[in-house]
Parts: sequence; structure tokens; C-alpha cells
Amino acid sequence: MTTKTIAQATTIQEMIIQADHLTRCFGRGDAEVRAVDDVSLTIKRGEMVLIMGPSGSGKTTLLSMLGALLSPTSGEIVIDGTNISTMKEAALAALRAQKIGFVFQSFNLLEALSVEENILFPARLSAAGVPGARGRLDELLEKLGLIARRKALPSTLSGGEKQRVAIARALINQPPIILADEPTGNLDSHKGQEVMMILHDIARDDDCAVLMVTHDPRVEEIADRVLWLEDGALRDRKSEQHSWVIDPVCGMRVDEWTASVMTEYNDKKFSFCSGRCLNRFEAQPERYLDETKHRVQD
Amino acid sequence: MLYWSLKTLLSEPMRLIVSALAVAVSFILVIFFSAVFEGESEQMVAYLEEMEADVWVMQKGVSNMHMSSSMVWDWKADKVAELPGVREVAALLYFNGPVKIGGRDWFSYVIGISPEYSRAGPWALARGKSMPDPGEVVIAEVIAKLTGVGIGDEITLVDRRLKIVGLSKETFSMSSAVVFVSREDLGDLLEGRDQYSYIMVYAEPGVEARALAERIEQEVDKVNALTSDAFIHSDRQLAVQMGAEIIRMMTIIGTLLATLIVAFTAYSLIARKQRELAIARALGFGSGQIYLAALYQSVMITLLGLLLALLISFTLLSWLPTIAPQLNLAIRLHQFVPLALLALPLAILASLGAARTVARVDPMAVFHS
Repeated sequence: MTTKTIAQATTIQEMIIQADHLTRCFGRGDAEVRAVDDVSLTIKRGEMVLIMGPSGSGKTTLLSMLGALLSPTSGEIVIDGTNISTMKEAALAALRAQKIGFVFQSFNLLEALSVEENILFPARLSAAGVPGARGRLDELLEKLGLIARRKALPSTLSGGEKQRVAIARALINQPPIILADEPTGNLDSHKGQEVMMILHDIARDDDCAVLMVTHDPRVEEIADRVLWLEDGALRDRKSEQHSWVIDPVCGMRVDEWTASVMTEYNDKKFSFCSGRCLNRFEAQPERYLDETKHRVQD
Repeated sequence: MLYWSLKTLLSEPMRLIVSALAVAVSFILVIFFSAVFEGESEQMVAYLEEMEADVWVMQKGVSNMHMSSSMVWDWKADKVAELPGVREVAALLYFNGPVKIGGRDWFSYVIGISPEYSRAGPWALARGKSMPDPGEVVIAEVIAKLTGVGIGDEITLVDRRLKIVGLSKETFSMSSAVVFVSREDLGDLLEGRDQYSYIMVYAEPGVEARALAERIEQEVDKVNALTSDAFIHSDRQLAVQMGAEIIRMMTIIGTLLATLIVAFTAYSLIARKQRELAIARALGFGSGQIYLAALYQSVMITLLGLLLALLISFTLLSWLPTIAPQLNLAIRLHQFVPLALLALPLAILASLGAARTVARVDPMAVFHS
């Protein structure tokens, strides 16, 4: 084997996700929309990659295809050396169970199950089953600070706790890929920061590829790469496309261009770092407008 | 997924209990009709069983008491009594028709008895005397309670008024009560003073009933002799034929009702948990596993409903006759076998609606906030 071939083999081995000319269309004829248009990308083990872009740019569609939840109209996806483009639904489900952990914006915990039952839920699909995952469960509960809450039901958890449970559930089968869709979207800035650092540590310590769709500009600082998606295609992001505004609730800097949590009040547009801040604002808008004025005066 | 479906069911105990109770009600309906039918069938042959005869002799060509008429000359009773192997005979005259008691017609077995054959009379007496003389009658205690008549009151049998002199127990059923009159009165009425309808034969110890019946048919002209077992079986069959269609229909209605309730419950549960099913699908669970969860829920609701139905039925049906004495209810284990056998197919059928929903679960729903 030549030196070049060995280098190529190593690179292929490191590649956990490979997408080639990925396109996804919805509708037909004049109503056809290209949600994702000819996207090619590769993601390595241990890499934390962000997919950013304006609302409606196709980020979630791309994430769904890479997560084997949605089949592409054309193009190929290779996950950990397996081409999934032509796989049947049953095989895709098995692949998701083994290779991919999901973290969602709205947590998506099963309400009737306790924290540890939720975490163990996907373990039923692993070769070792639930008994084999008990050790991993304790490890994750410890690592994510959930030991005291292991018997609690989701309805009694805070947003941050729910997201940590969701992360533990994503990790229970030790998948090589974590796909996260706006994981900080429903959390305040402090809890959001905490979740981001957990995901960062997972990529670094567990050699997991973490692919995250987010509007949160703070994550850029800890990510290895940022992919900018616009009109369904990957593009270079121009710096002038940042339009920084202040979240009127927590005072955090938010990119108005990419923010998905927005509202209008008194004919004025407001952007927020999270749904939680939006909810607070909508409950008492005048209070936060006053605070914003004071903040500007200061 | 099975664990999830169990926990999901138990997380809403009120909904589960209401669903199971609804299923139970439809099962109870089936059990109730079956118990009524069984009780009535038993009561219809109660007279034949209580007489404890070995052989019944009747007119040639007749093989039933219910809905039948039979006439044999009275001397044939003497002739049967003289046959070897016969220990004792008792004969009765019989008429099947309405008797007006308390202003209402009661369809009855009217048994005409004479003092020499007193064992053909009532076997359990509540009040009064058991052997009616001419102009007298013994009626069922339940009819007396229901109509408010008592000893000393009068009833009408066809064209004659008879005075109540006794109240008998265990002789009432909704389809036919047993009324005892004197052989003389019934003989006048039927113009058969020198006739009997049935002759009950009691065999000597060690004599086999079937052999005795064959001997009677050989020795006595124009009679049909049946062992008691065969005669009771024949009457019971007639009762079953008459009621089976109704009971089958009620069983189908009750079962359909139970299926609809289970289907609706399973469907609504699955419909409300669409998002959780989408989560399961996104995490890697297949449609088959999710459908199994829906099926498991259907089975749980059905079995719980069946269990509740059994508990309630046993409690309710044993108490019901105390407030409604006209009800003859019989609960036997074999009545539950069809329900138990139906439960699983019913649950599978009921989960098909949910299966359609499961097949449509879109894992992309997990991205909607």
C-alpha cells in the first residue's frame, strides 16, 4: 500500500457522513420547491459542525436527510461507510437506532416514562438491550447531572433538565453521530450555554460527529466549522449578512438575519435568543421595552 | 414499545378504567343474556329433572314435553307397572297453555295430578298444600309475588275458576311456569278422564334404564319410552333451538359493541400520542413495533374489560334475582369460554384502526415545536 493510499483510507475512515449532490424537492410542477439544492458535504468523527442560515433556508430538511428520516430526491448519503440512499424504511430505522442520536428543540421526551426510562428507551433497539445499557445509563446520569432526577417524570423537569435527558437518550446507544435541531431554542441563555458545552464535550471526548442546526451565534465560537445554507444551497457567508440586535428580555446579542424566534409589537420587530425569552416578552412586553430603553440609556 | 404502551395506559388511569368499564358493559350484556338463556333453559327442564324418573313413557311419535301434547290410555300405566324391572310408576296429565293469574296470562305447564301418583306433584312447597283437589290449584310462589295473589284467591284455567291452595317453589320461568291442578279437572278440560299424558317409570335397583325403555316399547302398544336423560336432553335441545338465535344475535351485538369501544379507545390513544410515535420512529423503532404497541394496548383494555365483566357479572347476577325473582339466571364457566376466545381476535380487530394511524406517523413531526 502506498503512502497516498494509506492517507486516503484514513480519511475515508474518519468520514462519518458524506453527502453528494443532495437535492430534496417538495411539490410538483409550478408548485415545486427545492428545499435543498445540490448540497455536498463531509463530516468527520469528533467534529462539531453547525448548519446556519436564514429561516426557511432548508436547514431542517438537510438535517432530516442526513438523519435518515427523509429520503433525498436525488444525490447520495453515506453514513459510516454505508450508502443509505437506496435503503428501505426498516433498514433506515435500524441504522438510526445504531448510528444516530437525535436532540430536538422541543425535547421530545415520552411523557409516561421517567427520566431513566426515557434514556433507556432506544436501548431496546441495541444488541445489548436494556440490561446491557444500565452501566451506560449510570454514567450518563452522572455526567449530565441527572442522578437525583432519575425517577422523575418529564412534566416535573425544567427545560434544561429535559434537554439533558434528551442528550443522554441520544447517547445511550453510543452512536457515532449526534444530530441536533435547535437544541437551545427553548432554553434561556444560561441553560442554552450549558447544553452547547455538553454537546461540544461529546464531540471532543467521545469522538462523536455533532451536526447542529442553530440560530444561536454563541455556538459559532465552539464549533469546528459552520456551514451556511441559503435558499437550499451551501454558500459562503458574507460578514455583512450579520445584523446584530439585542434580545429585549435577556440582553443577549442576536443575529437578526438568522434569528427564528421573532415577534412584532407596536409595528416594531423584535428578535430573541430563544422561545423562552419570546414567551416572557409576550407575557409582559411593556416591562421589557422599558428595560431596553434603560439599557440603551446606560 | 410494549413497556411504553403499558406505562402510557397506566399514566391515565381514569381513561383506562372508563375504557375498560365500557368494554365490560358490552361483555356484561352478552353474559347477562347468556345467563338468562341458561337459567331459562334449566328451568324449562326443572320439572323433568326433579321427578327423577328412570324412563318417561308417552304417546308414539312424541319425544318432548315442551310445546308438545301426548295422550296415552290410563290402563297403559297399569300395564307398565306390571312389567318386570319396574319398581314404581307415576302418571300425569299435561296441558301446555296460558293460565290467567292476577289479570295476566302466564304461559304454563299445567300438570294434572291424582293422589295415587302424588310424586308427580310439586317437589318444594312454600305455603299451603301440595295436592290440589278438584277446583283447586297450586301455583308458583313467584307468580303470586308478582301479581299479589295468594292462597284463597282464584285463577282462570281456560273456562274454569280454580282456587289457589298452595304456592310452590322452583317452578317459575319467564317462558313457562308449572301449575298443578287435579287430574279430574284437567281430564274434564281435555276430555281425557281415562287418559294420561306421560307415565314416569322408576326401575328396580340394577335395572338399566335404556333396556327398560326398550322393553316397555316392545310390550306396550303405541308408546314412546325414553330414558330420563334422553327426554331431558330432547327438551333442552328444543329450548336451545328456540333461544339460540336470539342469544347468538345478542352475543354478536355485544361483541361488536365491545370491538367498537376497544377500537375507539385504542385509536384515540394512538391519535393523541402521534407525536410520541413519531419520536419512537425517529429513534429507530419500526412500524411493526409501533403497531405491536397499539395492539398491546387493545389487548390490555380488552382483557381488563373482560376481567371487570366477570367480576361485575358474578356480583350482579347473584344479587339480581333477590330484587327480580322472575329472573332465572344461571352463570356457568362454559358461558365465559366464547368471550375469552373472542377477546384476542376482538383486540386485534380493534387495533386495525390504530394500525392505519401508525402507518401514517411521520417521523418528521419531531421537528415541529
